[in-house]
Amino acid sequence: MVYAVEVDGLVKRFGEIHALDGLTFRIEEGRIYGLIGPNGAGKTTALRIISTLILPTAGSAVVFGRDVVREASEVRKLISYLPEEAGAYKNLSGHEYLQFMGKFNCQNRNDLKKMVEDAANISGLGERLKDKVKTYSKGMKRRLLVARALMNKPKLAVLDEPTSGLDVLHAYYVREIIKQYAKEHGVTALLSSHNMLEVEHLCERVALLNKGKIMAEGTSNELKTKYGAANLEEVFVEVAGLA
Amino acid sequence: MLKAFGNIVAKEVKEMIRDPRILLGMVLAPLLIFPLLGFMLRTSTEAVQESIKTVSIAVTDLDTGDVAKNLTDFLKASPNVKVETINAQNINEIATAVQTSNVTAVVIIPEGFSQNITDGQRGELKIFGVFRGGGVAESVTFSMVQSLLESFKQNLIHETVQKKFPTNPDVVLDPIKVSQSSIVKGKPVDVNPSALFSFAQAQFFGLPLALFMLIILAMQLAATSIATEKEEKTLETLMSLPLNRFTLLIGKLAGSTVVAAIGAIATILGVIYYMGSFTFGAPTQPTVDLSAIGLSPSPLSYVILGASVFVSLLSALALAVVVSVFAEDVRGAQSLLGFVYTPLLIPMFVLMFADISSLPLGLRLFLLALPFTHPMLAARATITGEYFTAVLGIGYVTIFTLVILYVAARIFATEKILTAKIRFGRKNPRRMSI
Repeated sequence: MVYAVEVDGLVKRFGEIHALDGLTFRIEEGRIYGLIGPNGAGKTTALRIISTLILPTAGSAVVFGRDVVREASEVRKLISYLPEEAGAYKNLSGHEYLQFMGKFNCQNRNDLKKMVEDAANISGLGERLKDKVKTYSKGMKRRLLVARALMNKPKLAVLDEPTSGLDVLHAYYVREIIKQYAKEHGVTALLSSHNMLEVEHLCERVALLNKGKIMAEGTSNELKTKYGAANLEEVFVEVAGLA
Repeated sequence: MLKAFGNIVAKEVKEMIRDPRILLGMVLAPLLIFPLLGFMLRTSTEAVQESIKTVSIAVTDLDTGDVAKNLTDFLKASPNVKVETINAQNINEIATAVQTSNVTAVVIIPEGFSQNITDGQRGELKIFGVFRGGGVAESVTFSMVQSLLESFKQNLIHETVQKKFPTNPDVVLDPIKVSQSSIVKGKPVDVNPSALFSFAQAQFFGLPLALFMLIILAMQLAATSIATEKEEKTLETLMSLPLNRFTLLIGKLAGSTVVAAIGAIATILGVIYYMGSFTFGAPTQPTVDLSAIGLSPSPLSYVILGASVFVSLLSALALAVVVSVFAEDVRGAQSLLGFVYTPLLIPMFVLMFADISSLPLGLRLFLLALPFTHPMLAARATITGEYFTAVLGIGYVTIFTLVILYVAARIFATEKILTAKIRFGRKNPRRMSI
């Protein structure tokens, strides 16, 4: 079976800090996979390595059969990465931003036009796309960025805390968009969150991460049954030995 | 690759041009600062010339003899001189009297002045300059009073000498006639050298300062551009795209360069106006036509100056990119840039006051090693015509820029671009295939 993502014994050190300590997991194609854990668990570091932004100290990460270190440029053609709390170019309009980003993935004008139209629909920002990004609220900006991350129908969407800092309505909108888009286009999504309830709602499989290691992995139901918990939050408290 | 490059350049230019701080600071400021500087210099020169058209002198004659009367009459007969007679017995009364007037100097002729001169003794005069703030006009008008008294003295000497040498008193008094002219660019020109020197000093003082401001501004642009991308995490997004990282670096630099080039053109236009606002010459000397004596900058000199400013800006931008890589946010980048300002300040201050060829060899080489010295030398070349040095400078700065670009490209190829924080990690970092 070809996995969308295969991470094996991933280690990352920043000086004395061990951000990842032998991380291992696999994601099947077309699935939404969630990495959950508290701040500093190593979620962002794992996503940055898979997105070819930083190098692992040891171990390997492979995306659709491509190694993220040796074949970084090939991996970048397959993925779309949304950093946590990312911004957009504030002096460009939302539409110009989508066009700018779309040009890196399009071969011709028709493709670009279609891609930007798709992104406009995903964002749901309508006429506000003509306004400069600096006039957007945090929620609107995040919707724009999620639309950018999904518009090129990547084989793997890497989304770091996609709803972080958003109010209930914007968070709900973003979650629904990710779910719907992944289902419609067969996009594999790897996302991180410290909001366990959100992951429970969105992801088909989850990995509970703490101190750079996976503490437990499975579907939400499997984990809840295994640990006799009502939700993933209780599962995490149980496996982290915090109870 | 070319398409991606064009896309980045277009985005960078659009972003920067739409930023009001950049539009104001980089394009409008040079267009305004230089002409304003020239206008201010010209206006103040004209104001000084206007204010010295009439000189007011107060005379207190305590002597009342013939020579004293002659002196007062001489002053009254001098063109553009207004004489006010003050009848007072001591300097305190005189000082109070001139306080509210526009008198430049008070000439006091003490008792016995005429008698002493008639008897072949030395006469004594007292002059008090009235200080009202020490402006250029005050200084010049006071010098004019001194000159008038000197003329009167010369007249007395002339009369005395004429008595002994009735046929040729002028030759006895001034046996050597000195005429002063200049040699400019290997050609003799009939212009007083002192006037030329003051003209050059005025030019060489303002230009380094203005170039310094432009380069500082460009560096802030580039550093802010990279730091904002890091702070907003748009750089992470760009680096995860199927986009060659060198293309990304060059695209960002090219975008800054386009804006910097617009800034350089604005500067050159400003400089052209600034130079054009200079007509020089002391009040006693007719205005000199710069083009007639070969000191009017040629179109070629402006091209060389433009090229020099451009490559220096590029080197400044590349340096700013390298520096800003080590900052986490915009504020950090601005602080780090402070270290780069020092090599900029040194040539500015030195070249404001000294000619590089007059410096000791060590200091000269040090200055020439700094890339920012060269546009200042090129600015000087617009007048001196030393194009060879300016062109060599352009070559040197181009090589310097390429080296810095190479360093920047190396940094962009590693994860340091995202993780570096003024802390140099292990040697030979692993690089991804880009």
